[in-house]
Amino acid sequence: MRASIKWLKDYVDFAISPEELAERMTMAGVPVENIEYLGQGIENVVTGKIIEALPHPNADRLTVCKVDIGRETLTIVTGANNISTGKVVPVALVGAKLPSGMDIGKAVFRGVESFGMLCSAEELNLDAKILPPEVREGIMLLPDDTPLGQDIRSVLGLDDVVLEFELTPNRADCFSMLGLAREVAVLTGGTVKKPMLNLREAGEGKAASYAAITIEEKSRCARFCARILTDVKVGPSPAWLQHRIQAAGMRPINNVVDVTNFVMLEMGQPMHAYDYNLLSRHTIIVRRANPREPLTTLDGVKRELNSDMLVIADAVQAVGVAGVMGGLATEVTGSTSTVLLEAASFDGFSVRKTSRTLGLRSEASSRFERGVDVRNITRALDRAAKLLEDMGACKVVPGIIDNYPCLELPQQVNFTAKWINDYLGTEIPQAVMIDILRRLEFDVEVQGEKITVTVPSWRGDVSLPADISEEIARIYGFNNIPATTPSGRVTRGGQSTVQSLIDEIKRVLAGAGLSEILSFSFAHPSIFDKLNIPADSELRQAIEIMNPITDDFPLLRTTLLGSVMETVVRNLSRKNDDMKIFEIGSVYLAKQLPLDDLPAEPVIVCGAMTGKRQVLSWNTSRDLVDFYDAKGTVELVLERLGITGYEVTPGERHSYHPGKTAVFAKDGDVLAVVGEVHPKVLDAFAINKKVYAFEMTIDTLAKHAAGISRYQPLPKFPAVSRDLAVVLPEKTAAKQVVETIRQSGGALLADFKIFDVYTGEQVAPGMKSLAFALTFRAERTLTDEEVDVSVKQIINRLEQEHSAKIRI
Amino acid sequence: MEKELMALRDAATQELVQANDLSSLNELRVKYLGKKGSLTAILRGLGGLSPEERPRIGQVVNEIREEMERLLAEKTEELKAVELSRRLASERIDVTLPGRRPEMGHLHPLTKTLDIIKDTFMRMGFEIVGGPEVERDFYNFEALGLPKNHPARDMQDSFYITEEILLRTHTSPVQVRTMLAHPPNHPIRVIAPGKVYRRDYDATHAPMFQQVEGLVVDKGITLGDLKGTLELFVQEVFGKDVKMRMRPSFFPFTEPSAEVDISCVMCSGKGCRVCKGTGWLEILGSGMVHPRVLEGGNYDTAVVSGFAFGMGVERIAMLLYGIDDLRLFFDNDLRFLRQF
Repeated sequence: MRASIKWLKDYVDFAISPEELAERMTMAGVPVENIEYLGQGIENVVTGKIIEALPHPNADRLTVCKVDIGRETLTIVTGANNISTGKVVPVALVGAKLPSGMDIGKAVFRGVESFGMLCSAEELNLDAKILPPEVREGIMLLPDDTPLGQDIRSVLGLDDVVLEFELTPNRADCFSMLGLAREVAVLTGGTVKKPMLNLREAGEGKAASYAAITIEEKSRCARFCARILTDVKVGPSPAWLQHRIQAAGMRPINNVVDVTNFVMLEMGQPMHAYDYNLLSRHTIIVRRANPREPLTTLDGVKRELNSDMLVIADAVQAVGVAGVMGGLATEVTGSTSTVLLEAASFDGFSVRKTSRTLGLRSEASSRFERGVDVRNITRALDRAAKLLEDMGACKVVPGIIDNYPCLELPQQVNFTAKWINDYLGTEIPQAVMIDILRRLEFDVEVQGEKITVTVPSWRGDVSLPADISEEIARIYGFNNIPATTPSGRVTRGGQSTVQSLIDEIKRVLAGAGLSEILSFSFAHPSIFDKLNIPADSELRQAIEIMNPITDDFPLLRTTLLGSVMETVVRNLSRKNDDMKIFEIGSVYLAKQLPLDDLPAEPVIVCGAMTGKRQVLSWNTSRDLVDFYDAKGTVELVLERLGITGYEVTPGERHSYHPGKTAVFAKDGDVLAVVGEVHPKVLDAFAINKKVYAFEMTIDTLAKHAAGISRYQPLPKFPAVSRDLAVVLPEKTAAKQVVETIRQSGGALLADFKIFDVYTGEQVAPGMKSLAFALTFRAERTLTDEEVDVSVKQIINRLEQEHSAKIRI
Repeated sequence: MEKELMALRDAATQELVQANDLSSLNELRVKYLGKKGSLTAILRGLGGLSPEERPRIGQVVNEIREEMERLLAEKTEELKAVELSRRLASERIDVTLPGRRPEMGHLHPLTKTLDIIKDTFMRMGFEIVGGPEVERDFYNFEALGLPKNHPARDMQDSFYITEEILLRTHTSPVQVRTMLAHPPNHPIRVIAPGKVYRRDYDATHAPMFQQVEGLVVDKGITLGDLKGTLELFVQEVFGKDVKMRMRPSFFPFTEPSAEVDISCVMCSGKGCRVCKGTGWLEILGSGMVHPRVLEGGNYDTAVVSGFAFGMGVERIAMLLYGIDDLRLFFDNDLRFLRQF
């Protein structure tokens, strides 16, 4: 909503600056988004009449004009071709400034001195949207009777400031100049001057005998009123009216249409004028549109309606989309002599739905969507009729045709000052509250502590004591409310163990050198092929979005690996060659498609690494990450969560290399999958280097995570260390050897680690060497002989079970 | 005899002074003070002297020996110091070469920001709760006072899955879910961080972003309590000097409603590009929980009242770190992520 300061001052006197007013309105819940200074940058531009226009002696395209600017006559050369003697135009004098930053000086055009410039609308920075088409091009032609030598800013109504309000949906009442004036009056201590509505009503007969109005859809049209205007003389509006409409961002059309727009802007009530003689049988019916009923709207677009939409029809056809836009066939034109003026109330939801379906929003529809004041409708009709009557543009037929099926009773709210203060945390005296409400034109009755207010008809948003508290608070000033903290019992803050677990995993992974990414929860269907996911996989049962923004993201992701791989690709394309990344986020798994219940949203940890293991420096290794870096990361996470006793077995997963995938499992639950990304997947992502990835599910980790780990006492006696290297068949898994050592080492074997794995010249083909560092310990000092016995046991078992040979 | 001794002393002193390494010093010790050393020999020969001369010569010999030992010790210290500095000089490295750095990973700036927010509220006794991202229209809109075709739904263009199920457009559905999870009128003090979705994608809007919802319900909760709680939050996150103001606004699920601004952290409220010259930055929406929302959660508005607020984590992160393009958060360029 754009509000001209000059226009506002027609209704309320105030002395504060536009900036101060904008601040006060904003802080009272009527926010000003922008302050526009019309005519900004225009200086020394005046009106002038062309009294002579002769061709330039030395240039075909130029014209030499003599321009009368009242106090003197100037010679001005122009290249424009839409001027002629007698026209009044804007003249930028020598020394003038234009909004583009141009400074006008004396100039010589092919030997002829020019003392100024004739201006176009564009040069005055006027928005083409609010101008009649004929003045958009060429030098701006003003009415012939415009006084000469006048500052162009006052002639065009540019000596004004416009506040642009960004209204919240609840404040329908502020969608009008009078509504805003009411707020201004409350905030500045002024009073609102309402327009006079005393009509002469000099037309013949009674309005009711001119037309019949029927409302078929009473639930969607609460009231429909009309006035009849005869002897209509359609023509341009007076300048003041045009300026008001233009300041509000609308384009003047003719006096009848301009008045309906003016009243809508002034009072918030959309109106429409029909050419009475073009309404078949002078009948108005408010009904549903017929299926596929055609209607050409005022904007010249032929539209097809549906039966959900509400239309205004005559006896034969639709003549307007109710609350959205009138029809072209019955519009007011120069040949119109009788007008039916409509003012009605249509259901906001219905108007909104229709305007969305048609893709057609108008000043009228945005007001109906918020709701109009049903009690204001006849006043708006009177106001429009009076304006046209005063202009001598018509005779007003006595009476209003008023179809008002269900009278709405005013809303009443009961409360006490104590309740309001308890709710706001304030100590506002009751008298102050009453004063605020009365200034807002609430009718207030007080009986002891009990206050009863009658809500004004334009405040459909107020129905509860909480609403009243807002009215009081916003005028009293939110910033005058004391800041306190909630009293009451002490609450246990904190977060759930699963949330803490997620935080812990993030810390562990970041500590291990992985950086956290965050990607959109959306996916493209091509991701499944890229990840080598088979056609029958459940992962392909992704939830589809009905209205995606673009075709890029039509699905909700069922796997995090896709998001992570896309991030790998994006970084590789930017020459970020070495990376270790992870994401923790949800995937969305439908129980059934189409969705009839909310999907499961398990939280997944997915990581990937590729490139060099260490950050490149002069003294670091150039080794690349491998499977064991990824696996070690998973082991570290499990260790930090206190998860032990899991089994690691070779596994197969479609997105991973079949020979380089490990599955971590415990009690039948998969804790983690880790592996080299399948070469087919890498190909599909156009990645030409190896990538290692892992995936874990938070809920499974949470199920197995231990709480606080208990401290183990430090050993009191020294340990004995022995190294042991065995040669055994290459296909024997390390895990099997480890198991044998654990079983055969006896009570003395405290710990052991694999410190070397070797295949090559030193061992026979098909064999490998594994080297173990064994640690023996007991609650006493061990002798070499005791340890030798244990080692011998281990060697014997390795020989028996794995055909191992001791390597010396 | 005495002459002999003096000559010996002079020779030994001369040699000691000239010695320039520890091994020659040791040789000198052996030569003069060792078992077969010349001074030792003289000492042994004292027996051949007359009883009158013996103590006098003996004393002279001892004096010489003590002096030599003192000189030897001094010289040893001196040579050790020389040797050490020679060694240290030879061990010099180029300390201007970069160090070998352990690689640390980086948490996403939104995680870091959320941690700050969570931390601040947890210290105020808030519990952290969550809710589903794929949500029913009922919880997302209707239970919050936004029936279908309500004009306020325009403020939040939604991704729909079915007519009744959508991607939540805000974290506010957690309000009703949390109340329904408690017995009626049970006090609540929670925040609910999470991802939310809206159909918008440009430099200032992402189709997915993160919000933190706050909800406090108890007997006697006031608008002043909301103001005080948010002031504490703002000062914890942005610093003690940052000012806060509340502007009346409209949300269907709060009454009264307020937008909360902080004084611009870029220009300290003087007016700059970030705050569009106003000196204020809008950071969150808030208000007293609307009676119909409390009723939807089976809470009795005659007994309890509450406040709620919702903020965008990206917005806070952009202000904290001076990030000017929202899309960077979801682009995941490591050159960006490694800065946090």
